[in-house]
Amino acid sequence: MPSRPSPIAFQSASPTQSMFKKKSASGLSTAASYLNAVSAADARARTRSSAASSTASTPALSMSSSATSSSEDTVLDEREDFTDGLSYPRTPPTSSQVFTTVHSEFGHCANDDYRYTSRHRAGTPYKSYPEQDPPYYILLTTYISYILVICLGHLRDFVGKRFRAANYRHLLPWNGYAALNSDFDSFYTRRLKLRIDDCFSHPVTGVPGRTIMLLDRYSPDYNKTMVPTGTRTRALNISSYNYLGFAQGNGPCADAVETSIERYGVSAGGSRLECGTLDLHHQAEALVSRFLGVEDALISSMGFATNSNIIPGLVSKGCLVISDELNHASIRYGVRLSGANVRMFKHNDMKALEELLREVISQGQPKTHRPWKKILLIVEGLFSMEGTLANLPVIMELKKKYKFYLFVDEAHSIGAMGPNGRGVTDYFGIDPRSVDILMGTFTKSFGAAGGYIAGSKAVIERLRLQGHSFTYAESMTPPVLTQVIASMASIMGITMPTEKPHSSSSLALLRSSSSDVASAMSEADIIPGTAPASALPSWMPLAQPMIDGSDGRLRLSRLAFNSRYLNRGLRKLGFITYGSDDSPVVPLLLFNPGKMAVFSRMMRTRQTPIVVVVVAYPATPLVTSRVRFCLSAAHTKEDIDMVLRACDEIGDYLDLKQGPGERWPVEEVISRAVEIVRAPEMAC
Amino acid sequence: MSSSSQSLELLFTFLSRSYATLETNFFKLPGSAVVARYVKSSHQNDPGRTLLEVILIIFAIRTLLQSRTRGDQSGKHFIQFDEKEIDELVDEWTPEPLAQPLTPEEQADLASVPVIVGPTGPKPKLASGKTVINLASYNFTGLAGNEEIKASAVETLRKYGLGSCGPPGFYGTQDVHIQLEQDIADFLGTEASILYSQAFATISSVIPAFCKRGDVIVADRGVNFAIQKGLQISRCTVRWYDHNDMESLEHVLESVEKERKKRRGPLTRRFIVTEGIFDHDGAMSDLPKLVELKKKYKYRLILDESISFGSVGRTGRGLTELYNVPASEVDMLVGSIATSLASAGGFCAGSHIVVNHQRINGTSFVFSASMPAALTVAASEGINILRNTPSILSALQENIRAVRAILDRADCITIPSHPASATIHLQVRWPTLQVPMHTSSSSSPSKPSNPLNVKPRDAEQFNIELEEKLLQDIVEEALAQGVMITRAKRLRGQELVEARPSIRLAITSALSRKDCEKAATVVKAAFAKVIGKRR
Repeated sequence: MPSRPSPIAFQSASPTQSMFKKKSASGLSTAASYLNAVSAADARARTRSSAASSTASTPALSMSSSATSSSEDTVLDEREDFTDGLSYPRTPPTSSQVFTTVHSEFGHCANDDYRYTSRHRAGTPYKSYPEQDPPYYILLTTYISYILVICLGHLRDFVGKRFRAANYRHLLPWNGYAALNSDFDSFYTRRLKLRIDDCFSHPVTGVPGRTIMLLDRYSPDYNKTMVPTGTRTRALNISSYNYLGFAQGNGPCADAVETSIERYGVSAGGSRLECGTLDLHHQAEALVSRFLGVEDALISSMGFATNSNIIPGLVSKGCLVISDELNHASIRYGVRLSGANVRMFKHNDMKALEELLREVISQGQPKTHRPWKKILLIVEGLFSMEGTLANLPVIMELKKKYKFYLFVDEAHSIGAMGPNGRGVTDYFGIDPRSVDILMGTFTKSFGAAGGYIAGSKAVIERLRLQGHSFTYAESMTPPVLTQVIASMASIMGITMPTEKPHSSSSLALLRSSSSDVASAMSEADIIPGTAPASALPSWMPLAQPMIDGSDGRLRLSRLAFNSRYLNRGLRKLGFITYGSDDSPVVPLLLFNPGKMAVFSRMMRTRQTPIVVVVVAYPATPLVTSRVRFCLSAAHTKEDIDMVLRACDEIGDYLDLKQGPGERWPVEEVISRAVEIVRAPEMAC
Repeated sequence: MSSSSQSLELLFTFLSRSYATLETNFFKLPGSAVVARYVKSSHQNDPGRTLLEVILIIFAIRTLLQSRTRGDQSGKHFIQFDEKEIDELVDEWTPEPLAQPLTPEEQADLASVPVIVGPTGPKPKLASGKTVINLASYNFTGLAGNEEIKASAVETLRKYGLGSCGPPGFYGTQDVHIQLEQDIADFLGTEASILYSQAFATISSVIPAFCKRGDVIVADRGVNFAIQKGLQISRCTVRWYDHNDMESLEHVLESVEKERKKRRGPLTRRFIVTEGIFDHDGAMSDLPKLVELKKKYKYRLILDESISFGSVGRTGRGLTELYNVPASEVDMLVGSIATSLASAGGFCAGSHIVVNHQRINGTSFVFSASMPAALTVAASEGINILRNTPSILSALQENIRAVRAILDRADCITIPSHPASATIHLQVRWPTLQVPMHTSSSSSPSKPSNPLNVKPRDAEQFNIELEEKLLQDIVEEALAQGVMITRAKRLRGQELVEARPSIRLAITSALSRKDCEKAATVVKAAFAKVIGKRR
């Protein structure tokens, strides 16, 4: 192990900002070699693409005429270090390349080799990458570290309560009031989480795009309080849910949102059924159903609440919900509110599911043995902590046999999976109409907020009346609606009317009711459909890459490449990662709880800082603490290279490379990236 | 004889030899001495004791070997089927349809919701092409469409993009969120506050963050749906007091205290949960009395100010400003940013301890993406405007008075709302002689309701279907006359206590007094027309 300062030294406790700017000798050497490798790879890629005389692929965003820029208003800190490759590309664009995006928000990447299509290979059964167990000593040390920290915590509590009672007052009954939060309930938070609190809830500013601006902070009292230093650090953002890179302060979507704010303001004023319905709501709902290729859709102003308010409208007492054990908290919350019975099955274990189905159908309701009114299976399309996909092909077969209803939560997969970005159904090539309820959020891939529920007309209309959202919750605000419409249309591409119609009359017709919109849209009943221009707000500015769908295709193919590259790259380096190769969520297993903090701090304090998300119990099982990368179309291949190099370095330092199989050195992984991504099956 | 005794002897020597080897081998095993000592001391020349030990060991082994994963199968209600039978049962089972198709009435109900084309505001344009006076949308302070707010929202959009793209724990906490939390806390005068990204999801997450199984909640019978859901999720013991009746509250608090003393139970967390201005009928809580009672009985107060924040008080700080009670006296003050500041989301204000606890335990805070930055800044801007322009609130109150002056006099309308409430609920008043389904609850007020039951003893009787239909007719009549109003929509069958059907007016300061009077006259006329026709 190289001699390094203790991991504590990586804590951001030091208020000096120099640590972020300082260039260590090793940093320089890696940067130089990195530059060489990048330019070499670029040159290679360029010759290959010219030799292949690329005809099919779309030129990257070269339609529009505006020049490469990093406009002033997004550069939040003038004292930024421009050599880190975050704000400006390391290799300046050639005269033939024109990028319309701000590099810090959406990276410039002109190499058409760095594209891929996210699609399940037809005919092969879906199997998630096998979850590997770490060596026993890792498990043992993990348990020991938890035991140690817990014992220490109890000791500190014991001593503290006796000698520093004032600090514990809020944890103990006082003055006739029971403690708001008893010392036992909050033990985990106070004694375990607090130790690494500098890795969570880091305040940020600016666009959470390819890079993010951290507001530096330090803690004078071991994370009890955090004091902002007033400085900012730009870091590579591999944490935000920005799969398609729509988190942008510039570009056609932002332009559309600006127009809508000027037109509509920011409020919709009330719940949907109490006069809070705008024309935009109907347009967005129609577009969502068109996007997904289903009959109807409803939208709700908060992603969490989409599940928690709508599931009670679907099932009730006497119904059974079968839920994957790793389903999101919002699903559990909604199911609990509904009063339906719940059974869980082992994560993605189709055998366990079938056994459970056989049991519950044959047994009926507990005690009474009456048949269930209905059985609803709830799974997530892409599990946000595991990176695994729901095994839809098998589920669809089971569904035929066991007649349950299927609810797929596509919070993370919509937009991020499938050749057309239509989610897991698209990825597996399954008819979206064969899934009863498709749920998803707009937070992740569309850079907006809120969620949708889509399905058959009868079901959705029932949910409009019987779910809680429409009656009680505030409706979605116009800027968010516009972002949804603009980003979705941009993925779909827009069919312009052949002859100029009388826009006013046709729009008036469309706006009259949602059913009219739906019928107008069903004229071209193709999946995946494009967005008819007549269904979009007439005032919305449309850019050329949006209309021809090239913008959407570019985003999808870049995300697919990035996901596959990082997933497979990390495995080639010897790390243990979970999930599907095509998943944009990449969990890298750390196991030992102490490594979480060190990993996060080391990433954040690199010469080019990288921010990562570390998660542990209770979000994951106790032993499998992990770091989770969320990829984005906004990342360039150089960004992924940077992450791989960082992981390689830190992985050696923290002894993380425990995976089986052949290992490559990091430079080889980087230089053979395209090969790695395109390989149909990766030997392990 | 001798041969048999010889063979017996052989057998005995063999037995004793094998016993000896077994013994030596046994004592060679590590720890065998301990076992031997244990067996000896436990046996104590009593075979019964040894038998018991053996049975215990067998039982322990059996328990260990038993499959623990299929708890349900070993239950006494489990019926064993073979595979073929299961297949038959599976084939036989036909589920109900996932959703019943809408009835024509429900279809009409859904279709009757007006669609606003373009921005909402005091006088929006509807899809029918008509411009109407809006007494339905929540826009108390007229901030919807404010140019300053729009400008700062656009500026923020350019700097931050739209979505926050992450939950607060994972790089979703932006400086604008911290700023708005600070603004709200300063505005109300609490130590801190926390933002939720939907108003409806706020209190249903705040309550279960603090109240666990075994805790006691004393709640008003008329609380809104979000609170009901929060109570349901929290799984704690709920006691109910009569709607907005402080005497009943004191009774219940007394009885809970008695019950606790009788059981000598441990000290548990106790909360009073109620609303500032009730969503169901616009009644207003007596905050000073609430605070007095909560202090006397050592309860914590969770107050939902979703309606009252931004609509009462000199600058719209809500009930605490109106009654001049420091906001720090309310332990958890929940409000809506969506209704009052014309943006989106909700908040909970309180002490640092209360707020920080929710940052880890508030389910819909932790597991949801934080609010879009542009909406956050819009809300900050809104607070700023309220703070600097007290005339907004005085205009609002004047409009409320103007509307009330007209509607209070109408003989076919009952208004349960407080005179200062910006939401005015209008219920059908039946002529006293013609009350087939509505008996006033004047009979024997001496007997208090059972606090264990959410239904009050003398529940008001009304015919929901009939009244809702009449009210819908009134809404449509008013719309035809150019005034947009709405019924208070509720999920019938899902609310714990069915609230009396009503029309909910939301008064705004953005309308002139004259417009308000005109609108109120239209509403009054619509009532007279529809109810009169029925008579």
